[in-house]
Amino acid sequence: MAVPILSGFEHKVVVGIADFAVSNNPSVILTTYSLGSCLGISIYDPVVKVAGLLHIMLPDSSIDTAKAARSPAMFLDTGFPMLLKAAAELRAESSRLQICVAGGAQIMDSVGFFNIGKRNHVMMMDLLSRNALRLKAEEVGGMVNRTMHVHISSGDVVLKVSGNPKESYLCKNSTTI
Amino acid sequence: MQELDDYINRVQHLPPAPKVLPQLMGLLNKDDVPTQQVVQLLSYDMSLTAGVLQLCNSAFLGAAQPASDLQEAVNRLGFRQVYRLVVAISGARLMSASQKGYGIDEGELWQHAVTTAVAAQLIARHVGEDDSVAFTAGLLHDIGKIVLSQALEHIYTKVINDVETNQQSLLETEKKLLGVQHAEIGGRLLARWKFPSNIVAAIWFHHHPGAATPHQRLTSCVYLGNMISYFIGRGYGFQAFAFRGRTEALDILKLQPDDLPKFMIQTIESFDEIQTFLSIKAP
Repeated sequence: MAVPILSGFEHKVVVGIADFAVSNNPSVILTTYSLGSCLGISIYDPVVKVAGLLHIMLPDSSIDTAKAARSPAMFLDTGFPMLLKAAAELRAESSRLQICVAGGAQIMDSVGFFNIGKRNHVMMMDLLSRNALRLKAEEVGGMVNRTMHVHISSGDVVLKVSGNPKESYLCKNSTTI
Repeated sequence: MQELDDYINRVQHLPPAPKVLPQLMGLLNKDDVPTQQVVQLLSYDMSLTAGVLQLCNSAFLGAAQPASDLQEAVNRLGFRQVYRLVVAISGARLMSASQKGYGIDEGELWQHAVTTAVAAQLIARHVGEDDSVAFTAGLLHDIGKIVLSQALEHIYTKVINDVETNQQSLLETEKKLLGVQHAEIGGRLLARWKFPSNIVAAIWFHHHPGAATPHQRLTSCVYLGNMISYFIGRGYGFQAFAFRGRTEALDILKLQPDDLPKFMIQTIESFDEIQTFLSIKAP
């Protein structure tokens, strides 16, 4: 029986909505598709080469605490600490983390009743400041749907915008461009 | 309205009308739907029948044994579930292709449609509207895009520039550059296909639910379902979020802004149902 051999080849680990993954396997690319108003948050420790990716949907778990207990990655305030903890278990240190954020799209809404993308971003900034963490790069807001790839071998974060065939770097070789 | 009809007439490769759907919709109002009538309506379309039978066996619907014929399927699942399957199969036929004029890849419009249908259905159930009708309207709301896509393909860059520079919605940009917009064209197409007036209104005004008199409630369900679909990443194409926030949709349904995240959670929790419909391949 043929056995699939993955080592040595890049392979994609897909992070769904309300989900997260961390890894120190350099052949892995963490990918999350289709961030609408959701946020994709990537972390990378260049010393131990550990990366993580979280795809949250809503800012605040207080809206449904039972749901947050079952699915903490759905909410930013419960998902982000979990992402940091999982990376720490792979010896990532928070002082070294390169944090990138993408998503948080907004419709044309002057009243702000439908501004979930913006609220996600505000909560993100708040969490970073409360945890004394620094943002490496972000591409947030606007009216586009984004897909995010994190290359564990290099720490590169690549974005693809729906309707535009070109990909772009959000963070390249540990240097934001 | 003549211009709209002319516009539809000029479009090449217009998809075939889903003839059985308007007729099936007529049965939604009945308390006791005669199985024989449903079977007879569906039996004219072999691939539709095959699709329904195949889906009967899906994990979501929980049937251990495949239904051997339509009669059994209707008896086992009930008319409304079979109806939804027929809507979905008909929708997959219409909406699986790419729509280059909108930057929408193959399968993406279909994913958006199914997610909108499920979200609109959840909202309708919550506010006491007919959820099967909301499902249908949600699934078909962007049908006008398949009519306009060809025309927009040639001016794609101009459309994107216009949206970005002038902060116009996609709908307003379509109207300015083509003289028509996708919601209006979609409503017109469904009227031509003899869909009932509530579905026609819900599609025609799905970006402006307050104008959908007397069907504002159904239209608001579709408007919010559409928004949820975009928010949770099932809205595709370039500048997909270029549409206006209409708080009237909340007022009409007596909902609060905080209800929206709750419906987003419920839609994500309906993943199995969404996957079942997405598993449908256009024949």
